[in-house]
Amino acid sequence: MKPVKFDYHAPASLDEALALLRRYGGDAKILAGGQSLMPLLNFRLSRPAALVDLNRIPSLAYIEEHDGQVRFGAMTRQRMIEFSPLVARRLPLLREATKWVGHLPIRTRGTIGGSIAHADPSAEYPAVLTALDGEVVARGPKGERVVKAKDLFVTYLTTSLEPDEILVEVRLPATDAGAGFALEEFARRHGDFAIVAIAALVVPDGARCRAARLATAGAGPVPVRLRAAEQILERDGLTDAAIDAAAGRAAELVSPDSDIHASADYRRHLTAVLTRRALRRALRVAHG
Amino acid sequence: MPLIGAPVRRVEDARFLTGQGRYVADLTLPRMLHVAFLRSPHAHAGIVSIDAHPARELPGVLACITGDEIATQARPMRAESRMAGYHPTECPPLARGKVRFAGEAVAAVLAESRYTAEDALELVDVRYATLPVVGTPEAAMAGGAALVHEAAGSNVLLTRAFVQGDVDGAMRDAALVVGDRFRFHRHAGVTIENRACLADWNPGVGELTLWSSTQVPGLLREGLAALLDLPVHRLRVVAPDVGGGFGVKSALYPEEVAVCALARLTGRPVQWVADRREDLLTSTQAWDETIDAELAVNADGTIRGLRARVVADVGAYSIHPWTAAIEVVQVISFLPGPYRVEHYRGEAWGVATNKAPMGPYRGVGRPVSTFVTEALVDRAARRLGMDPVALRLRNLIRPDELPYRSPSGVVWDSGSFVESLERARDAAGYEHVRAEQERARRAGRYVGVGVACYVELTGVGSAIPASPGAAISTGTEGATVRVDPGGTVTASFGLACHGQGHETTLAQVVAEELGARLEDVRVVSGDTAAGPVGTGTYASRSAVIGGGAAILAARALREKALAIAAHLLEVSADDLTLGDGRATVRGTPHRGLTLREIAGAAYAGAKRLPKGMEPGLEATRFYDPYFGTASNATHIAVVEVDPETCAVIVRRFVVVEDCGRIINPLIVEGQAIGGVAQGVGAALLEEVVYADDGQLLTGSLMDYLVPTAAELPAVEVVHLEHPSPTTLGGFKGVGEGGTIGAPAAVANAIADALQPFGMELSELPATPDRLFRLLSRPRTTSSPETP
Repeated sequence: MKPVKFDYHAPASLDEALALLRRYGGDAKILAGGQSLMPLLNFRLSRPAALVDLNRIPSLAYIEEHDGQVRFGAMTRQRMIEFSPLVARRLPLLREATKWVGHLPIRTRGTIGGSIAHADPSAEYPAVLTALDGEVVARGPKGERVVKAKDLFVTYLTTSLEPDEILVEVRLPATDAGAGFALEEFARRHGDFAIVAIAALVVPDGARCRAARLATAGAGPVPVRLRAAEQILERDGLTDAAIDAAAGRAAELVSPDSDIHASADYRRHLTAVLTRRALRRALRVAHG
Repeated sequence: MPLIGAPVRRVEDARFLTGQGRYVADLTLPRMLHVAFLRSPHAHAGIVSIDAHPARELPGVLACITGDEIATQARPMRAESRMAGYHPTECPPLARGKVRFAGEAVAAVLAESRYTAEDALELVDVRYATLPVVGTPEAAMAGGAALVHEAAGSNVLLTRAFVQGDVDGAMRDAALVVGDRFRFHRHAGVTIENRACLADWNPGVGELTLWSSTQVPGLLREGLAALLDLPVHRLRVVAPDVGGGFGVKSALYPEEVAVCALARLTGRPVQWVADRREDLLTSTQAWDETIDAELAVNADGTIRGLRARVVADVGAYSIHPWTAAIEVVQVISFLPGPYRVEHYRGEAWGVATNKAPMGPYRGVGRPVSTFVTEALVDRAARRLGMDPVALRLRNLIRPDELPYRSPSGVVWDSGSFVESLERARDAAGYEHVRAEQERARRAGRYVGVGVACYVELTGVGSAIPASPGAAISTGTEGATVRVDPGGTVTASFGLACHGQGHETTLAQVVAEELGARLEDVRVVSGDTAAGPVGTGTYASRSAVIGGGAAILAARALREKALAIAAHLLEVSADDLTLGDGRATVRGTPHRGLTLREIAGAAYAGAKRLPKGMEPGLEATRFYDPYFGTASNATHIAVVEVDPETCAVIVRRFVVVEDCGRIINPLIVEGQAIGGVAQGVGAALLEEVVYADDGQLLTGSLMDYLVPTAAELPAVEVVHLEHPSPTTLGGFKGVGEGGTIGAPAAVANAIADALQPFGMELSELPATPDRLFRLLSRPRTTSSPETP
């Protein structure tokens, strides 16, 4: 478990980093927190010619609110998000999701940009990005572009970002007061990747539901936005019957794969169970 | 205050907790080379050709050696057995002719760094001709199956049976027979430190030194001497600090043979440090048995008979020295458990497949036998409408029946089977837990209580080998205790330590028996050049056999020290006491001599010693407990099952154990808790999975799941202390017990929790996916009261 030989660069600026990516023509990997990349290198599953380490670019770590969005520099550590008062106030779903990310040492190194760009479909952050209709900012040779969550995830460990682009910012719409949220996850052990997780956000409006947001982790090759299930709630409100119907619909909307930890049937079953639990808890949160 | 029994904090902890331990990977020798092994990508294939030239040409690479080349340096291992029905097979240091499991070493690259060595592995060109993969024992036993070892003539490497009474008659006449097919899947023994070894050949004196992360330096020395054609005294094997063993480091491995041969071949020290992937691919694995078992009981719950057929997947090689029999024959040896079983038949098959070899793992056989027997006992209780504790109390062997000869021929010298169950029942608040279970069920929550009782043979002496039939001696150990002229004490053992705390416990024994101060006793073990002849640490033997030898050697020294002190003080030895490093005249405490003064005299010679006394203050003694002694315990687990997510949470875990006279209660408690952690892991998480083509699918710790603190409850441990009547010191072994009882207790608790669904659990680990499939099956009985 020793990596193949690679060049290592620690640029001090984003422009320098972009120039390096250009120089290696798609044969370089970006090192953020390294929590997924380093094992891939050691297993020789990833064999880049070079690593471009973003850890020496201080301008890439920040959390700020702007135009109803909370914006994160790509190199913002998960640990910083976990303890950010702004995130606690404006993005409580992300805060809750962060507690499910790995273990403390992993969150201390791991970054929001790295987690999303790595695009592990069992990870929590891609599910939250998908549920909240977030977006990322990618910078490349031609400048910056904004990529919506629904356009970002292609398949397992694959995004629509170009090899010469760097994910520099993550943007999530802030959550209005009065909304309810929950992330329900089932993993084999504390800190493991999700077998299935459901991120839920509901905005109750009296007996009605003004908006519902649901997305999965672990239930397919990309996070799945459960729009048809959301629509049941937006149409019928947040009654027990509507929640059960939405949960049942959620299970129909996913196409999970089988692996040694869980069969597709079991994952589909969990999708329904966790959707129902997430919605019920989100509703309780909304009602304070 | 006596030292034996005192809760002394471990003297080795300061070293380990501050990162000062020295493991094989910490060792570096001048001119040392690193070896990386090229491992077969195929589970079963002929080796057509190997082209190592491109690898040899990579800068930094010194050599690339194949199986045929290393064969001139080392013989293949061959685990012999006295057991009828056993076919010995060979295991070469590097594969020759064919590979028998994915991960088997095919070639070795020696390079200046491990990085370069791994780069070179990619340049070795091996042509394979794939063979049909023997994936399961069923396939292996089918007519026309490919043979893993052609020379054996069959994939069935061993068969064994134990029979007592007329079990078929007992089944026929019993009021109730409960039975099932049980399955305990394959398990890996995960240690914190992967396997590692370093060999150094000294051509000047023709001596070879092997440092290895092993439990058994003595066994390695004997085995390697024969394979390498070296006299035993030209081989030194050292186990430095070792980060866990659990039985997995108790075999002689092909890599150990290979690094020795490579060091001798190249004339340079050669180090191999397994990475986690190699460790999961190639270290011995455990269990993987299918057990068809039936229990016959009378209407009052009295057990009449037990019948079982056990088929084990022993993997590709019969390991040295334990053989492929070690696990499965122990299952049929211990299936009757601590119960009175008049009629018994246990039959075992060990079947070769294209998987990593089967070996001993903490508990050996008994985690499986206890799972099966305890599940059957619970089912019998349910069918008879009896409480499972009550049914057990009716059948446990009582103190007045001891010693008791079990149906498989094992003799239980002692035990507190009934007492441990009663104490566990009380410690758990059994009635209260049952009431709570009822309340929870009414609220739609599924809580279960599981009981498991076991007895295990520990400290096995020379009467039987530690592994059934193994052609080695495992019944004795020695201790050399030396008081130096400085008055400090060195106690050397042929044992090895890989986490047991021997530096503390054996020092307690020596200090108390000799009369030295604890801080003056240093324990040395794990080095064949530093201690008396011994084999190592396995099979819960060190406290019993090593402790016994320590007592004998320390007592001999105490007697001599007292004789010297009596001579110098001009009193009778009977008038002296020796304790806390000082010999004192009774009634005259100011008159006395320190151990240092006594030792000074001992080495000063005739002038200061009684007439005719041999100088020196050192003694070596050996101990053989002959039969060995029985440890026992009861485990009670309380779990909650979420029938929707199929998650199992272990809420409580109670252990009431009896390991005889306790040397150090902190260490006994640590052993119980650690063992339970591994047992809970075995019940819920840990499973080695192979694909149909023989590829390992659990090759990292992301896929092979060991329990963490978050998955475990606080374990409540209660000690019973009935000294062994048959061992010196009254000690019994305690290293394995936790792992024996826990899987059964957790399994029974899950089955108990799922009773409203009419489910029985017959397969471990009880993964959520398995429970999901179980709960998705059409109900055999009525649906749950609370949906």
